Amino acid sequence: MKRSHIIALVVIAVLIGALLVTLQDASVYATFDLAEKQKPETVTVVGTLDLESPIDFNPQTSMLRFTAVDKEGGRSVVLYNQPKPTDFERSEEITLTGHATDSLFVATEILMKCPSKYTNQEEVVADASL
Amino acid sequence: MNYLGEHTFWSELGRFFVALSFAGALLSAFFYGFQAFRSPAERAERPVLPLRNAGRWSFALHALGVLGTIGVLFAALFNHWFEFDYVWRHSSLDMPMEYIASCFWEGQEGSFLLWMTWHAVLGLLLIKTAKTWEYGTLMTLSLIQLFLASMLLGVYIGDVKLGSSPFVLIRELPDNLGLPWTQLSDYLLRIPAFRDGQGLNPLLQNYWMVIHPPTLFLGFAAVTIPFLYAVTALIEKRYTEWVLPALPWTFFGVSILGTGILMGGAWAYEALSFGGFWAWDPVENSSLVPWLTLVAAGHLMMIVKHKNSSPGTTLFMTVLSFLLVLYSTFLTRSGILGDSSVHAFVDLGLNGQLLAFLGFFTLSSLAVFFWRARFLPKSASEDAFSSREFWMFIGALTLLLSAGQITFSTSIPVFNKLIGPEGLLPLLGNKLAPPADAAAHYNSLQIPFAIIVSVLMGLGPFMRWKDTPNALLRRALASAVATAVVGGLAIWGLELYDVLYAALLVSGLFAFFANADYWLRYLRGKWTAGGMALAHLGFALVLVGALISNAKKEAISTNATFIHEDFPANENILLPLGDTVSMYPYYVSWKGEHMDGHNRVYDVDFYEVELPLASWADGERNHLKTSFSLQPFIQMNARMGNVREPSTQHFWNKDVYTYVSYADLRSIEEQAGDWKDPQEATLQTGDDIFLFNDYLLHGDTLVVVDAVFDPASGELAHLELVLNMTLKAMDGTTYPIQLPYQLDNNEVSNAEVELDGLPIKLRFDGVQDEQGTYKITAWKKKTEEPPFILMQAFIFPYINLLWLGAILMGVGSLLAVWKRLYRSLTSQSK
Repeated sequence: MKRSHIIALVVIAVLIGALLVTLQDASVYATFDLAEKQKPETVTVVGTLDLESPIDFNPQTSMLRFTAVDKEGGRSVVLYNQPKPTDFERSEEITLTGHATDSLFVATEILMKCPSKYTNQEEVVADASL
Repeated sequence: MNYLGEHTFWSELGRFFVALSFAGALLSAFFYGFQAFRSPAERAERPVLPLRNAGRWSFALHALGVLGTIGVLFAALFNHWFEFDYVWRHSSLDMPMEYIASCFWEGQEGSFLLWMTWHAVLGLLLIKTAKTWEYGTLMTLSLIQLFLASMLLGVYIGDVKLGSSPFVLIRELPDNLGLPWTQLSDYLLRIPAFRDGQGLNPLLQNYWMVIHPPTLFLGFAAVTIPFLYAVTALIEKRYTEWVLPALPWTFFGVSILGTGILMGGAWAYEALSFGGFWAWDPVENSSLVPWLTLVAAGHLMMIVKHKNSSPGTTLFMTVLSFLLVLYSTFLTRSGILGDSSVHAFVDLGLNGQLLAFLGFFTLSSLAVFFWRARFLPKSASEDAFSSREFWMFIGALTLLLSAGQITFSTSIPVFNKLIGPEGLLPLLGNKLAPPADAAAHYNSLQIPFAIIVSVLMGLGPFMRWKDTPNALLRRALASAVATAVVGGLAIWGLELYDVLYAALLVSGLFAFFANADYWLRYLRGKWTAGGMALAHLGFALVLVGALISNAKKEAISTNATFIHEDFPANENILLPLGDTVSMYPYYVSWKGEHMDGHNRVYDVDFYEVELPLASWADGERNHLKTSFSLQPFIQMNARMGNVREPSTQHFWNKDVYTYVSYADLRSIEEQAGDWKDPQEATLQTGDDIFLFNDYLLHGDTLVVVDAVFDPASGELAHLELVLNMTLKAMDGTTYPIQLPYQLDNNEVSNAEVELDGLPIKLRFDGVQDEQGTYKITAWKKKTEEPPFILMQAFIFPYINLLWLGAILMGVGSLLAVWKRLYRSLTSQSK
């Protein structure tokens, strides 16, 4: 066997290995329902903040507790052991990474999508004119 | 119509310059294209100089167009012409002048323009230096510029929008067309919204953001030049000669792009509070990947240069680097990363155009490559196992695999678009999400690659082309011994017992010592010859610094409150105002806060215990001396959201990095005067109610002081009431209260009455019915909680190795470029 063949085989082995690791590491987008079924696996849930339900932040323990609604309307209480993100209430969409437990969803990371910075230029102008 | 105060002329001038740059690029591609497909011999025999000159002049016109475009955009930003959509969106009056540059490239249009500018500058340099390569390279570059300029055109062809112009006026936006106000000639004076713009994203108001984008885009532009040479080489069948002129450009690109990427890291470290300089964010990844392949391409070029054969992989890698820049552009600008990245650009609706840009160059350059692939000269024999070229090739392959892995994981959103449940070919049942723990994912795969690369970097200088005598290899032994000693001590001292981490530390140190040894002993520390060694040892330091500062990053702020056994104590320390709190190895105290412009700055003092203590019984707290103060701040921005920004104390061997993770954003005085828990109550004379569980409120009498009826209508015109009540505290103290209420023609005035010495205030809200039931509201003052902030603090050990390495790497690769330029200049003059 020529050396180039050995190299090619090693490369292929590395590629397959990396692919498997990546697929294993990749989480899936889920609903709270799916997260509940797959607990304690880590999943990513995209949803919105439920502003009707209380949003409690306890600075002593820096524990945030709120309710989120996923894209299919399922809701769950979410616990986030970090300070409340700035402008949390203004978020349009929140992406929660974490796992479900028997009673609630424990988020380890929250990404927020805030209203676009290109806010209502037309409205600003329209309101001000005439 | 003439619009008052509007800079209509400038807007049109700007668009003219964009059109000029577009037309110039088109003409230049056309004129150069005439000759690009003739062979060099043919061109030398029958030169058509007028065509060449026409190409040059067209490119010069194009460059003039680009220059003019920048000029007009800067003029608009500097003079705050808010009728320009771009100016309105990206700047505001109160913004410091030095950040005007950041406004310039905050938007997609501006950053395209930046990229185009560097291409134009490098293109002019190519015209001066490329000689026989001028035709192919400038034709290809003009085509690239044509695509870039089209992104700025902002014209409609039928219903299809071609590009997005930075000079479009707000009244010309599609959403505003035909609105009544656009018909007013004095709309700028009438409508207050035009007096100020939206302002720059606070995250970008940082000096790194003034220099990081131009450096990064110069790096991207430098990746283009070797690509131009590679394409020209394929067209003109000059498969090996092209590496000579391409090499200096390649290492120039390696230096500048690498520096640009690390500047981005420095910005993230200083301005963002995610706690580090690298987060494997898709946007960061997509600028790192072309750098990795460019480094690989540069090393492969050196193999071609020395062996004068087998250029296939080299050409491929060079073309790939440029295509990856285009792919990176597509990822960050098309909005496809939306869910997975915090700092991608906002979608401008240019996706089709971006895809065409990517598709055109991918298809055409790969077509040329595979068309010529069968003719590429192949090496007669395999490289010897002990040759430098063999191991250099392995190194390049490792870099390619590393780049491939990063690209694959970063492209997960793209896979969703292609084969996800709503994609073109729905193969997946569920959408894939990026790895939950990005750092763990990338580290586990990238560290092995980094280990291989560092070992090769260490051995590289001691290897020779074709065959390395063992005596030469033995020279590396000294470095191996040094590595064993220092590495062992470092692993023990840092307690770095993770196998992968320890292996990277050792291999990184080996690369450092081997290159330092080679430079100092065998090159006698000469600067001119040491470029390669310096760049390699710099990169080794970057790896070692990144490894130690990340693996041994220590959160010193911990919240001691026990929550639940499933919840680890988190990394936020509670700092009540004025208290001195232990945060090992420091004591910290939040002293106060002040406003500095838009920033709410928190003054935090750090103390150290003065050793030795006179006696332990005395306690540490009585022996504190101020060590340093930090000012983490929160940038207040009503429009785009508040941003917490870190503050860092630098030591030679560590950084202490803090930011405020939670704070009440009102000033301390406001917080103290905060009335909360409003409680409403209805009662009658003689009733008792409980207030806030601590007080008993008794209704005494309701007195009508004055009542006047309107004689005409018989309605009540003036009424004055006083409600007498008694508040009884738990300890039995009683407080008499008088609450006023006045009505004048339906105007109610009922002042809130604060009680002397009690954190209570009350208001009389009026009489409910004829029985004399009345309504009151009571508030309690928030006194139980003193103001506090939550803070996170981390120690990054030896992070300075990273920055030092970055500087050495940048300088080293520039020295290597200089050496090559110097050689080629002197060899030509001979």
